[in-house]
Amino acid sequence: MHSEKRDPDSDEFLLMSIGNSQDSEAFDALFQRYSSKIYAMGMKLTRNDQLSKDLVQETMINVWRKARLYDLDRGSAQSWIFTAARNRCFDMLRKLKRQPQCVSADDIWPEGSASFDQSSEDHEGGALTEISLVEKYCEQLPAPQRAVIEQIYTFDRTHEEAAAELQIPLGTLKSRLRLGVSRLRLLIGVDQ
Amino acid sequence: MNTDLDHHPAKELLANHIQGTLSTGVSVALSAHLELCDSCRASSRELEAEASDTWLQESGEVSANDFSKLIKDIVVLAQENPSESRQEEDFPISKIHMHDHSFDLPRVLAKAANDSLEWKRLAGGINQAVIDIDSETQCEFIYMSPGSKTPMHRHEGSEITLVLDGSFSDSSGTYGPADFIVREGEDEHQPVSEEGCLCFAVLDKPLTFTRGLARLFNPLNKYKFRKTTAHQV
Repeated sequence: MHSEKRDPDSDEFLLMSIGNSQDSEAFDALFQRYSSKIYAMGMKLTRNDQLSKDLVQETMINVWRKARLYDLDRGSAQSWIFTAARNRCFDMLRKLKRQPQCVSADDIWPEGSASFDQSSEDHEGGALTEISLVEKYCEQLPAPQRAVIEQIYTFDRTHEEAAAELQIPLGTLKSRLRLGVSRLRLLIGVDQ
Repeated sequence: MNTDLDHHPAKELLANHIQGTLSTGVSVALSAHLELCDSCRASSRELEAEASDTWLQESGEVSANDFSKLIKDIVVLAQENPSESRQEEDFPISKIHMHDHSFDLPRVLAKAANDSLEWKRLAGGINQAVIDIDSETQCEFIYMSPGSKTPMHRHEGSEITLVLDGSFSDSSGTYGPADFIVREGEDEHQPVSEEGCLCFAVLDKPLTFTRGLARLFNPLNKYKFRKTTAHQV
């Protein structure tokens, strides 16, 4: 669907915006893109309209709540949402068949949507985690913005020095810096 | 016939697992194998990516009108119940102790074993602990003591065996840890284990013993299977 991960319109970007800052517009966009697909999956597996609607709701609640656990390194957002929908559907069918609740879909597919990897759970960690997180998000910026941020924040150059180094006009540098920083803030969840 | 020459699940079975269309018993066996087998875990990730592509390409020509009003509800609902973070769980049964050592169960099996395993001694040095996972299959841990020999038997349906620890052999070969073996109906076999073997097995029909006194168990097996799988919808 939208595979370019840096694209602010990509599924990955939207999912991370939900995870980082509970961005309800991003949620709205993902909802528009996926609800009919989730409904179709429900109809295929349950052949029941109401169950399929319930599936859309349960899956999207899950997306909203667990978006912060989404890890870009582990795969695409569409695959993450696919596994979320499959897991909810599997559990709904088990419940319907009154099967013992000893195992749930998240136990069977621990690496799927409900991937509770330690790496994605230590967001509240110390400064070191924060820095590596910022570095990780920097890699998601478009190359020109990344280059500007690197000049200013990593090499501690002035705007003029950085513009000269990158051979771009000062105005261009400033606008790339502004875009890059605001995108980073969005990714990190400082504000919108 | 044995279709899994290298003792890994067939690609088609993995693909169905990804779709979530298999019984819980079989899904649990596959999940446990994936935890033990790096190469199958890698292929299952690829299959998952393919499955999500296919899912999005298929026409989902269904109006989403009814859903749009859900969005606000979800946001509000979720804010009332802040996201739960999952704790590392401690399972009551995380190991199975055999006479001279113990074995750490794959997580999904530890979870499925719930809080107790009831071991029963069967003929020929075989021990069995049935666990209740779903209404379509019979799932059980099997422990073959060293030097044990299962009575010759046939499967009417299919049987999946995942070797967890030790090894066993039958006329088709020798199987060791993480091996995933699928037997289809009509296969007659007599597994033996020199060193002892712990397995997780999923059956979709009762066993039929074909030789010796063990045949007397047949009606009992069928009854037990019906009982285990009784709460079918």
